[in-house]
Amino acid sequence: MSLMQPPDGPRTMIDLPVMPAASCEGVVVANVPVSSGLLQLVVEFDSPVTFQPGQFAMLNLAGDSALVFSRPFSIYEAKDRRMSFLYRVVGRGTRALNALEPGAALVFLGPLGRPFPQPDPDQPVVLIAGGVGLPPLAAWLDRQAGRHAGEIDAFFGARDGGDVPWDLLGDRWNISLDSLKDLPAGRQGWQGLVTDLVASRQDLGNRKDRMVLACGPTPLLKAASRLASARGWTCWLSLEEHMGCGYGVCKGCVVPVHDASGGPGHVRNATCCTEGPVFNAADLAWQD
Amino acid sequence: MSLPGWWTIDPTEPFTLGPRQFPGRIWTASGCFAYGLTGHEMKAEGFSSPYQGVGAVVTKTVTPQARPGNPMPRLVETNEGALNSIGLENVGFEEFLAKTLPALEEMGVPTVVSLAATRPEEFGDMVSRLHQAAVGFVHWHGVEINLSCPNVAEGGHDFGRDPDTVAACVRAAREYLPDRALLAKLTPNVTDISGLATAAAAAGVDAVSAINTVVGLEVDLKSGRPVLPRRFGGYSGPAIRPIALAKVDEIITRAKVPVVGVGGIGNDRDALKFFALGAVAVQVGTAQMRDPFTAARIAKDLAGV
Repeated sequence: MSLMQPPDGPRTMIDLPVMPAASCEGVVVANVPVSSGLLQLVVEFDSPVTFQPGQFAMLNLAGDSALVFSRPFSIYEAKDRRMSFLYRVVGRGTRALNALEPGAALVFLGPLGRPFPQPDPDQPVVLIAGGVGLPPLAAWLDRQAGRHAGEIDAFFGARDGGDVPWDLLGDRWNISLDSLKDLPAGRQGWQGLVTDLVASRQDLGNRKDRMVLACGPTPLLKAASRLASARGWTCWLSLEEHMGCGYGVCKGCVVPVHDASGGPGHVRNATCCTEGPVFNAADLAWQD
Repeated sequence: MSLPGWWTIDPTEPFTLGPRQFPGRIWTASGCFAYGLTGHEMKAEGFSSPYQGVGAVVTKTVTPQARPGNPMPRLVETNEGALNSIGLENVGFEEFLAKTLPALEEMGVPTVVSLAATRPEEFGDMVSRLHQAAVGFVHWHGVEINLSCPNVAEGGHDFGRDPDTVAACVRAAREYLPDRALLAKLTPNVTDISGLATAAAAAGVDAVSAINTVVGLEVDLKSGRPVLPRRFGGYSGPAIRPIALAKVDEIITRAKVPVVGVGGIGNDRDALKFFALGAVAVQVGTAQMRDPFTAARIAKDLAGV
């Protein structure tokens, strides 16, 4: 069953100006845990770096130890010549990344992909992040806090209190936890799914023009998409896919999207790395 | 790397292959740099684009009809290689002819068009229409017929394992391609690749590209089933370089046909090994995905610039 009704026209595209990607080497300056499950990698380059929240970079080891494919990571922060990433160790690539000490060289290609769209100046925005889906939304919030005139409500779901990078998040996020264990003194967390926490917030139902931006595991994205659809909100999702190249040549990261330009009900493969990773939820032809 | 004494060629200088002069000897392999329209704006220190010094882009393989490709997952990484089952996803010949090839010509991308079909006549039809539509194009240098894409056919069996089939496909294409280079990309999944090369040469190719991917399979231990939905995939990357070198050597010594070497080339040293055996040019495949500048870097390094 299709998750949502396809939109009437051709699928929605984000058209923010983005920097052309650069291929270069960087040097690790920090690679440290920021919670029980998340690590922060800080990389320094020869020249200043920039990105739009939602964009990602392909990272790899330098020289003969390089993995066959680089790995995609959402960009969390860029300041002058330094860029940082939040990641979780899940497989061979992230294990290799985790072993890098300060001073180690790293191969970089980025920034890549389409970022989150810009909301209207006073449009209310809801951010829904789950686990390692935090970086693009934390980046968005860092850019917009104090500048965006509309309300911003930010929600982050984690496994437990230890899994939350409290110092990094500050006090702008509503926290939901699968389990309340390891909750530091003085910190608060709501037990349950982050999307249920958003749904429980009756005050958010007062406006139809709200924009949801979400990133996290697929069940979270589907729940966010259903919630937004039920409330009449627009919803943009940053998808996580395995990628071979990150710049549109290998066709190894396709996702099915509705494309009315190909006729009613037409579904085609979109390349997640170049047409996404941020997609309008209404465009995705997910099968439940 | 300091270049060895025997290496006296500048691979960014023009060279002749069949009826065409190519701008260089370091190419990108089919399926590994899309159609050659991607990434022109990308930056790297010392390069104006990822296409700098690249002698030809062999396009993603084009088939008579558009193909949506195979279901996900399509890629599996191993320690030293990559297994793919993309399934020849492509825009189809009509769109390629109407939009892609003219765009490549306008952008000045040296192009070899990779074609796949299921019958020899289809190769003839496509090449004939290419020849008519692009007769005045100066950047279209040739056609590479893809006779061996193991992830498309049922059960991983390639189309081009039979010398007579290879010869029939080559003849059909050659008839309509008098003024561009014609290459056949050979499968390594045979006991006698030089037999395929000999058949291709007799039917009129200007060179063979060797090798295409090696049939492979990976198992997901959790489920106990193959990772790829179609079971088999095409194995590529550093792991297949010794296989490619052996096949290239076999073809050069036995079949006496020019060879464009491909298989696991990721840097100047890898490329030199193919040139040392007598390859006239090389193609960079899987390594191009890790870094879009790989072919450009190899060209620059081997030019001694």
